[in-house]
Parts: sequence; structure tokens; C-alpha cells
Amino acid sequence: MKRFWLALTLSLCALSSGATGLADAVRAQLAQPAVLRGAFEQSKQVAGFSKPLLSSGDFVVARARGVLWNTRTPFASQLKLTRSQIVATQDGQIAFQLNASKEPAVRTINSLMFSLLSGEIGELARQFTITGTTNPKGWKLVLTPRDSGLGKVMSQITLNGDQYVRHIEIIEASGDRTRIRFLPQTTAPAVLSPQESSQFD
Amino acid sequence: MTKSSSTRAQRWLALAWLALVLTAGGHTLWLWLGDHLQIDTDVLAMLPQNQRDPAVQAVTRQLTDAASRRIVVVIGGRDWNAARQGGDAFASALAGSGAKLQVRYRAGNQQAAQWLDFFAPYHAQLLSVEQRHTLNTLSPQQLSGQALAALYQPMGMPRFVSWGDDPLNLYANWLAQRAEQSPVRVNDGRLALSHNDQQYTLLMLEQAGSAFSMSEQQALLPILERARQAALSAAPGVEVLVVGVPIYAAAAANQAQREVHTIGIGSLCGIVLLTLIAFSAIRPRILVTLSIAIGLICALSLSSLLFTRLHLITLVFGASLVGVAENYGTNYFSNRLGWPEDQRWAILRRQSPSMWLAMLTTAIGYLLLALAPFPGLRQIALFSVVGLLSAFITVQLWFPFLDRGTLNFTRFARWIGNRRAAWPTLGKNRATLLLTLAIGITLCGALRLHSNDDIRLLQNTPASLIAEQIRLNTLLDLPGPAQFYLIRGTSPEQVLQREEALKNRLDPLIGASGLGGYQAVSDWVPSIARQSADAALIRRAVDGPQGVRARVAAQLGSSSNASATPFKPLLVDQWLAAPVSEPLRFQWLGRFENGYASVILLRGADRTATMRQLAALPAQLSGVQWVDKVDEISSILERYRHIMGWVILASYALVFIALCLRFGRQGWRALLPTLLASALSLALLALMGQPIQLFNVLALLLILGMGVDYGIFLLAQPDPREPRAFLSVSLAAVSTLLSFGLLALSSTPALRAFGLTMMFGICLSWLLMPFFLPAPHTETPSNAAPHPHAE
Repeated sequence: MKRFWLALTLSLCALSSGATGLADAVRAQLAQPAVLRGAFEQSKQVAGFSKPLLSSGDFVVARARGVLWNTRTPFASQLKLTRSQIVATQDGQIAFQLNASKEPAVRTINSLMFSLLSGEIGELARQFTITGTTNPKGWKLVLTPRDSGLGKVMSQITLNGDQYVRHIEIIEASGDRTRIRFLPQTTAPAVLSPQESSQFD
Repeated sequence: MTKSSSTRAQRWLALAWLALVLTAGGHTLWLWLGDHLQIDTDVLAMLPQNQRDPAVQAVTRQLTDAASRRIVVVIGGRDWNAARQGGDAFASALAGSGAKLQVRYRAGNQQAAQWLDFFAPYHAQLLSVEQRHTLNTLSPQQLSGQALAALYQPMGMPRFVSWGDDPLNLYANWLAQRAEQSPVRVNDGRLALSHNDQQYTLLMLEQAGSAFSMSEQQALLPILERARQAALSAAPGVEVLVVGVPIYAAAAANQAQREVHTIGIGSLCGIVLLTLIAFSAIRPRILVTLSIAIGLICALSLSSLLFTRLHLITLVFGASLVGVAENYGTNYFSNRLGWPEDQRWAILRRQSPSMWLAMLTTAIGYLLLALAPFPGLRQIALFSVVGLLSAFITVQLWFPFLDRGTLNFTRFARWIGNRRAAWPTLGKNRATLLLTLAIGITLCGALRLHSNDDIRLLQNTPASLIAEQIRLNTLLDLPGPAQFYLIRGTSPEQVLQREEALKNRLDPLIGASGLGGYQAVSDWVPSIARQSADAALIRRAVDGPQGVRARVAAQLGSSSNASATPFKPLLVDQWLAAPVSEPLRFQWLGRFENGYASVILLRGADRTATMRQLAALPAQLSGVQWVDKVDEISSILERYRHIMGWVILASYALVFIALCLRFGRQGWRALLPTLLASALSLALLALMGQPIQLFNVLALLLILGMGVDYGIFLLAQPDPREPRAFLSVSLAAVSTLLSFGLLALSSTPALRAFGLTMMFGICLSWLLMPFFLPAPHTETPSNAAPHPHAE
């Protein structure tokens, strides 16, 4: 059987807690909005490139629909995650696409995305060993893959935040490193605009 | 006049026959106990040698053998934890049962690592159909744009080789597309699959050992049922599907046994009761049964000497055909009624000519089967003729010795025997008119006659199992083992190239045309030609000053030097030797005849129109053969049905000649009722909407044998006041109805078709026969028996 696939489940997503105390503490702090909007700055260190690859853009996370990740600079491109698919588009052209009907991992990726938002982090403890600290002002979690399959893809994910996730750092098994900083995020308006909504279709 | 005791010659003959029977019995016992009887269950073995393709036979046997040992279990629902608990409970229930099953359930991620590592060295020469299309159609600019965007994407396909080696991440996408062929994944260290929002665990069970044993399969059912209950109690509310050929087989066998118990016991009780009432003795039944048993033993013994392998169908058909021997014993005992003990030999001598004629007319039909160039029919012919003859000889040589004591007319026997006088006779009367009308109307029903030889009609799978199978197919989408392509070539490379040529034709059929997909070795190990073409395509897109690597590097102001991977072909043998080939290894047949061969399996192809399209493809390709086992078996059944049909027609002609030789111009009277009965049976089946198939035709051959016997016995003693002939015919008919006709109650379609035809045919033969006898005042043929008065 083709089993490796679960491996590539989680490149971005993340956050969990083995210890229920840690999970509860993080959940208590996280806001659980229906719609979350914000901007991001990303820095990627890829083997073979001397300088980090810098990009920025904005994102929408709608609990009922999915995630839109719009990179604005230096190249415009969009990543869309919904219940049934993951699609990357560039210049209106689909660069890659995964369908849940053929690749069950798509659903897993999405459920993990929503775990992040809702604080349902117990789910992630199956795939990651989780350590972390919390204090009244915020929290920090370090996720390490439990099994070798996932370990083939990434070696560590670090998250920190308060009522929102503020920073994510993903260290891939190859040594490539992605840092994402989230700029001010808002939970209003709590419904998608018609234009946002149409992008999810 | 008549001698009252046996002659020396008769005693010697009886002893000689005893010696033969004992030899045959010993031989049969040796066959049975020593497991020396080779029984062929493959229907294709019934084809003439020159029409059999040994390669196809070997492959289908290999594939169906594998399928016939496999059971798939799927457990789950909305909640993964429940699926996992259910799966764990099922697996541990199996482990504790001591069943000889190989279970695949727990799986580690090291397999994933094996996959990634095995193909990685060849990543620069493996492309999917879509990737090939993209590289051929997009400009270098567009391609490098995609590569750039992917670099900035926060998530995407993971990389299994460095960016410099594979800037378009073709390898991960190629692997992802391979993975799409199966919904099975590893979750939590278990085989898992998901469908919509449902989560399932998956257990693959395989019966250990290559021996196909019915009793082992049946022993499996309660074990699986307990495991199912264990899963349900560990995780209440989960869906549990248990699907596989061993389960169907065991369910069918259970059902057959139940039927043998109910129908068989019912039929036995009926026949014994009938004998007791008619003769007020059990002796006639025991002796008649003995004659048939000896017939079967001799038939089995001689057939197994002349043929190395006996076909299962020979045994089933042959044993049925030997059943006609019932008539001889019954005829003897009916004519024995009311005579003193010392008249036994005289009675037999008087009945002998009729019995001989009855036996010969039946044997004619059976022997004609041997003329057809089909090994199966020859076996059946030999088996049934030997059986019939042996039973006949037993009656002739042994019955007077074994049948001691008196046998008096019972009131019942006399009553039955005298019913004959109640029949009107053919002539210018109202009965004839009514009968003609009834027959005419019924025969109109024959206009609706149609045939259907589809082997699937003979399947007898309970609806609940079929529902589980359909559900599993939507979840798991496994390729079917019944239809496939066989690809042959002189070298592995040629086989792979031919696979690729075929796949080019199959690709457009996927989706709209009703084909779900295919599964081929060349999906994983492309031909060397394909690998080097793909390698060249990748180099053109990625390498060089205009390639993706250089363009991206220029744009990002970074030097990204490539280590161009040297081309090193991936060979089938390497793949076969690696663990990654395990799921598809059986499709590579390796050295085959004078070359090599492989099999391409299909998923989700069940529409008839799709099948026709698929079957037509090999005509345009070389080295490719479409194999449809279901279709092939159905067409064998059809050919056998046609041949048997012609044999029956020819038998009617020959039997008619034989009857004319014996009865002169009255001969037709013994044959026409049977002919009418057979035609009416077919018409009734047609009116019931039943399609005609081989098993109906088999019944028609039997009806001919039986019905003509009735005609001979009655025509030889045409006096309506003589009760013995009609008693004999009636008892034989009821016995036949009780043994074969009751099969109409069976839920096994083949047996039901056979039983229903027998029921109609025998009833009608019996009913019509007296009607066609000469009227009492007409001249009767000679050789009529004297009429002793019963006490």
C-alpha cells in the first residue's frame, strides 16, 4: 500500500499538547473566532539559496470554509485549503492540487488547521511529542514528530502566541527553515465578504 | 414354460458380477480414502484441448487462487478512535482464535521510508502522465514561475530530494499520484482508510496454506462472527464489513448443506414411505437403491481409470443421469407383485425385453454426448452410460437372488395401478380437443423462450453479503480478478513497453467511459525507453541556461549548482527484490512460455458497454490479450447447452427408430408424450420468465430417458386392466419427482432450474402417457404378459 502519504500531512499546521494541562491552558487563552483575518511576514531558509526568501501577504481563516493564504510580495500566489481540497494557484493557473477524494491526507491537514484555531490540540498529540510552557501572558509549544515517516519530512515545529498564534517556525528534515510572523489579526467582521466567500468556491 | 429357480449360468454370472462390483468398490474406496481422486473444478478444463490457452489458464488460476484465500475487513464510522478500538478488538479476537490466518493490520512507518528511499535514486527519470503533459506544454518561463511560487509557499509537497536536484518537486508529485491508486494509508500504526467523513481501520486476512478446503472455510465463519461481535462490543455502533471469496464459499456450502438436510431428508422419507405403502415392504427400496449405488461406484471407478482427472461437473451431471436406473428396479418389483416367490426368474425374463429396450434407448442419448468434441461431455457420457449399464446388470443378475419372499398387492398399489383406466384415449373426443387446446395455448408461451448462460446467474450469494461487497467496493476500490489484460513480450522491456502502449489507450476511458482505473507494474517501473525519454524531458526543462534551475537562481540572485544525476535505469528485477513491490508483485508473471508476461488489472469496470470497449482494445495492439473469465465460462456453458440440445434432438430420432423396430407402427405412442412433455416444460418455464440454461437442458435429456421408459413399459403391457405396468411407471415417476423434482425448492439457481424442469417434465410425461396408449379395442402388440390374478 502507499503509506508514506500521511508523512506529508503537516507542513504548516501544528500545535498540540500531550499533557492535558498544557492543552487546557493553551485552549483557555486562544480566541476561537468564526473568521480570522490578518497579515503575515515569512522568511524561508532553503538549502542552495544563500539569502533567506522573504515574502508577505494576508490570510483569511474561516472555520466553516477553510483557509486562504495570499502571498502578495515578491510574487502573487494563493494557497487555498478547504474540506475537500488543497489548491495552489499562480497567475490564475493551478500549480498543484490535492483532492480529498483521492488523497485522504487533505482532510487530515484541514482537521489539523482547525485544531490550531479551536484549541482542539489533543488530536495532534498522536503525531507529535509536545512540550511547552504557559504563563498568563502567552504560551509556547514545541512539537516533535513521533514516528519516522513524519520525521522524514520535518524535524520540529515551534509555535507561540497568546489569544492568537503569533509565530510559527517549521524546521524541515532537510534543514530548510520557515519562520512566519503574524501581524495584527482581527476577528471582525465575523462573516466572510461575498468576494472572500467566492474565493472558497 | 417358466423355470422356477436359477440356472447354473445365472449363478455364475451373478458371482462374476459380484467380483467385478467388489473390485470397483475396492477401487472407489482406495480413490476416496487415499485422496487419489483428482477432481477438476476449473470450468475452463471442460474446453477442448486446442481451444484452451494454457497461459491464460495458468494466470487465471493464479489470480483466482489468491483471491479465493483473501478476506478484507473494514471497521469504522465517524470516529477514528472507535474504528481503532473496533479494529484492535477484531484483530485480537482473531489472534486468540487459533485460526490459520495471516493478518495484516499493524503497520509501521518504516514502509513509507522504504518507498521514499527505493525510488529516490531514480527520481530524475520518473514522470506521471500529467507531469509529462505539463513539461511538454508549459514554457520554461511558466515552469520557473511555478517553482518560484512554490518556494515562497508556506506549505506544499514535502521535498524528498534537495531543491537543486528537483526544483519542480516532480518526485513528490509522482509519488503522490502513485499513492492515489489506493485509499489505504497508515494511521496510528494501523492500516486505515477514510471515505467522506468516515474513518476506518482495515484488516487484510489471508487463509494460510494453498489447499482449498471447504471444511476450513466453514470453520472460519464462526471465528469471523465472534471477531465481529468483539469489534462491536469494543466500539458499539461501528460499521463492520467482512468480505471475501472464502466467506461466499462457506455461506454457499452452508446453504447447500442445509438444503441437503431438508430437501434430502424430505425426499428420502417420501421415497421410503412410498415404497412401504406400495409394497408393504422395505426390500424393494433397498434393492433399487443398491442398483443405483453400484451404478455410481462402477461409473466412478472406470471413469477415473480412463481419465486422469475427473471434472466436478462430470460427477454432478453423471450421477443425475444414472438416476434413470430407478426405472428398472421399480419395473421389476411392480411386475413381481402378486406372484409367488418361485416366479421371480420367469418375471424377469418376461420383463427383460422391455427393460433392455428402456436401457438402450436411454444409453443412446448418453452415448451421443460422447460424439461432441468436448472432454467434459465425453466424461459425462462415459460416466452415465457405465453407471446406467451397471445398475441395469445388477437388476438383471442379482435381483431374483436377493429378492426372497412374497410380495403381495397392497390396496394402494392396486388402486394406483387401476387409475390408468380413468384416462381417456386419443381419438375424436372432447378430451382430445381440450388437450390440444391446452397444449396449443401453453406452447404459445414458448414464444417468450429466451436463454441466458451468464455464470453469475448461477451464483448463490446471500443478499446481505452482496450488500457488504458493494459497500466495500465504494470504500476500497480494489481491482477485480475476473477481467484483466495479459501482456506478453520477448523481454521484460518489451512487456513494459506494451503495457505502456495499452495504458495510452486506457487513459481516455478513465472516468466518463466507466473505467475507474488500472493497476500495472509499469506504473512503478516504466520501460527503459520511457525512463530515458522522461529523463531527457526533465533535463530539458530543468537544466541548461534556459532551464528552471538557472532562471530561478538568476531571479533570486543565488547560484544553485546542480549535480546532474546520471541516468541509471530502474529494472523490474530490482523492484521485485525490494519490499515496495509487495502489493503488485503478483502482477508480474516473469518468465512465461518463451518470453515474459504481466497482468494489468482494472478497477471499477462493470458496465457492459465498458467491457466491450475494453475487450476490443487488444485488436489494435500486439502482445496484449483480454481475459474475461466470467464471459469465458458463460460461453462454455452456452456451447455445452447447444451441443446437448442437438444431442437430445438426435436422441429423439434414434429412439424413434428403436421404438419402431420394437413396436412397429405403434412406436410413436411411446415417444410423443415425452416430446410433448419436454416442449411443454420449456413453455411453462418461459411463461414463468425463467431463462433457459445448461441445467434445464440436462433435465430434458433425463426426461427423455425417463419418459421413453414409461412409454415402453406401458406399451409393452397395453391392457388397461393390467395394473402392474402403470404402477411401475407411477412409482418410478413419483420417486424421480421426490429425488430430482424437489430440487425446485433449492435456492441454488442451477439446482432450482434443474429441479423445476424435472418436475414439469416428469409430471407431464406421466400425465400424458396413458392418453396416447392404444384404445382397448385396437390390436395390441405381441409379447404382452399373461395376467395372473392377484390374490
